[in-house]
Amino acid sequence: MSAVPTPLSAPAHDTRMAIFRRRKRVNAIALTLSLAAMAFGLFWLIWILVETVRLGVGGLAWSTFTEMTPPPQAETGGLANAIFGSALMVSLATLIGTPVGVMAGVYLAEYGQRGWLGSATRFINDILLSAPSIVIGLFIYAVWVARVKSFSGFAGVLALALIVIPVVIRTTENMLVLIPNSLREAAYALGTPKWKVILAVTLKAARAGVVTGVLLALARIAGETAPLLFTALSNQFWTSDLGEPMASLPVTIFKFAMSPYENWQKLAWAGVFLITLGVLALNILARVLFRNKH
Amino acid sequence: MDAKVELPVTEKVKLSVRNLNFYYGSFHALKNINLDIPERKVTAFIGPSGCGKSTLLRVFNRMYELYPEQRAEGQVLLDGQDILTTKDDVSLIRAKIGMVFQKPTPFPMSIYDNIAFGVRLFETLPRVEMDERVEWALKKAALWNEVKDKLNQSGAGLSGGQQQRLCIARGIAIKPEVLLLDEPCSALDPISTGKIEELIHELKSDYTVVIVTHNMQQAARASDYTAYMYLGDLIEFGATGDIFMKPQKKDTEDYITGRFG
Amino acid sequence: MTDKHLSTQFDAELSGISTRVLEMGGLVESQVAQAIYALTHFSGEIASQVLTQEERVNHMEVDIDRDLSTIIARRQPTARDLRLLTAISKTIANLERVGDEAARIARTVQRLINEGVSSRMRLPVSDVSFEASLATASLRKALDAFARLDTDKAVEVIKQDNQIDQEFEGLMRKLITYMMEDPRTISASIDLVFVAKAIERVGDHAKNLAEQIIYIVKGTDVRHNPVATVEQLAR
Repeated sequence: MSAVPTPLSAPAHDTRMAIFRRRKRVNAIALTLSLAAMAFGLFWLIWILVETVRLGVGGLAWSTFTEMTPPPQAETGGLANAIFGSALMVSLATLIGTPVGVMAGVYLAEYGQRGWLGSATRFINDILLSAPSIVIGLFIYAVWVARVKSFSGFAGVLALALIVIPVVIRTTENMLVLIPNSLREAAYALGTPKWKVILAVTLKAARAGVVTGVLLALARIAGETAPLLFTALSNQFWTSDLGEPMASLPVTIFKFAMSPYENWQKLAWAGVFLITLGVLALNILARVLFRNKH
Repeated sequence: MDAKVELPVTEKVKLSVRNLNFYYGSFHALKNINLDIPERKVTAFIGPSGCGKSTLLRVFNRMYELYPEQRAEGQVLLDGQDILTTKDDVSLIRAKIGMVFQKPTPFPMSIYDNIAFGVRLFETLPRVEMDERVEWALKKAALWNEVKDKLNQSGAGLSGGQQQRLCIARGIAIKPEVLLLDEPCSALDPISTGKIEELIHELKSDYTVVIVTHNMQQAARASDYTAYMYLGDLIEFGATGDIFMKPQKKDTEDYITGRFG
Repeated sequence: MTDKHLSTQFDAELSGISTRVLEMGGLVESQVAQAIYALTHFSGEIASQVLTQEERVNHMEVDIDRDLSTIIARRQPTARDLRLLTAISKTIANLERVGDEAARIARTVQRLINEGVSSRMRLPVSDVSFEASLATASLRKALDAFARLDTDKAVEVIKQDNQIDQEFEGLMRKLITYMMEDPRTISASIDLVFVAKAIERVGDHAKNLAEQIIYIVKGTDVRHNPVATVEQLAR
């Protein structure tokens, strides 16, 4: 055992410096590549946003919110019915889908950790989660629209709800599973029955996460077009009757953007801008909520 | 291994363990435990990690039932009634035998509601009486002065030592007969630990206290009776002064003096 | 910083054991006083009273020592608390020996009485009495100093021991003179020498007590040092 470490000999020192310099070089190269990749991604993202804002804001006016979708080449017109239709169908779908999703999520987290039913449910849910939304739309078409022989806002709500449910199930289960068992045990130790432990303690502790999940589901369906094409279709005029076909922002954008008419195209961009703004706001809200709790 | 379990005749027995065997799946975690826990005294379980002391504690309030691969065989008598095979609902047992855990776990609600939560499970008290109960529990836990002006604030805003005292207050608010403490101070600093040990000393005039600790000095300071366990066996049980001055078994003495390994 | 421990139980145990030490101190103090009274008044009755106390003193030493060990095992005391407890262990050993000295004096008185020695013999009992008063005063002062953990008083006790030693030597010279003058007094004089020696030892034990007090308060072990050094160390 040597007592005091002696200073490095000259050749050892040189080797050390050489290795160090090479490391620095590799580091610099890797850093440059990462920055370049990020810049590349950001470039497109910023371009999309800039175009959206530029073209969208140009088409925005007070009339966008007050007037109905116009016929082609009209002087005036707005997106009022589409905005209303979207808002109505999206909120109803969320209202229907959330309780179902949360309850199923609670089942999976609190009762279904073992056993075949839990695993099967989780598996099917994962499939539904990644199912293309057009498939869901076609499903509702076959099961409901074709039978009733009419397109309706109600069918649209059903299709959107079927998209909301798997998302809420997944996030609810994930958030509940994150809650440490020690909290549950503390509640049990007081003599609390299982349902109360879940309701008053576990779910309460996870509520920020669950709400975030719901908001994200909401943000997702706000922009869904395919399912609505086969269910709610569209409507030139204002309607608040769910039994009738109903206009929605995504479908209206689809229709207007591909047309050769300038006023329609302008309105389409305004619609795109509105949806983007809405989804952005929801995402920010979800993030703010989640950060506060953790 | 059967340890000789003999309490002095002056002690009344609160909890009696008879031929208790415990399994995690196929792993035999507790081996034929026979033990009497005296009433209104502090009994400590000590032993190295994995000796089964926490396992034994969690049998007393049937916490193991939350996990299907854990099972207990034998008898645990509370005042003569076997709580493992009783037809009573397990919640009623847990209302009589409370537990405080190693990690402080305040519920996601106000301090007031944390304490009132357990009480509301079994009693309907008018607002005034509930206020009194909450105050009583917090005073008993030596926390009242620190939180009396912020009862409506979340329990999560308290310091670690305060949170643990909150959990203790929550546990005694339902007025159990037995209080189980599973390493209650291991997450706390020495001052908070000292406060809680002082608290335990006061609590024993009203409750039977069983404490699991890996800190045997804490057992020496705070308990009246000590049980030493090793690998699922109860090696020795006796008055704390005797165990730490003149243990009967060499294994016990080796553990206490640190001649281990 | 308060003087109390977080654990009121620990406080109670420490003050309890200190009280018992003082109790034992008071007991042996009165033993010594009674033994001297028995000597100066040639009272066989008082002498036997002293001897009956012996057993109680011995029990106290054993009990306090046992409880001391239990406190150390259970509380893991440190610093001042640990010094207090180790000092108490030595203190009660010293006190028990003071009790032994008192018993020795009492037995000597009994022997003197049995041999028919009377107060008519010109024995310097009053000088012994004076030496004894110095020793008992020292012991009392030491116990007071222990009760108050007063290092100044303790230093005084240590200084006073020299005086007691000198008294003893003076007494020895006187007794030798008596023995040379009147050989009939040899037996009784030798007994008195033993008594005087016992008293001198009481003074020594008082000094030991005082040294322990300085150890408790200052943490310095002043044993086996000359008085001047002790004074310095105790400051």
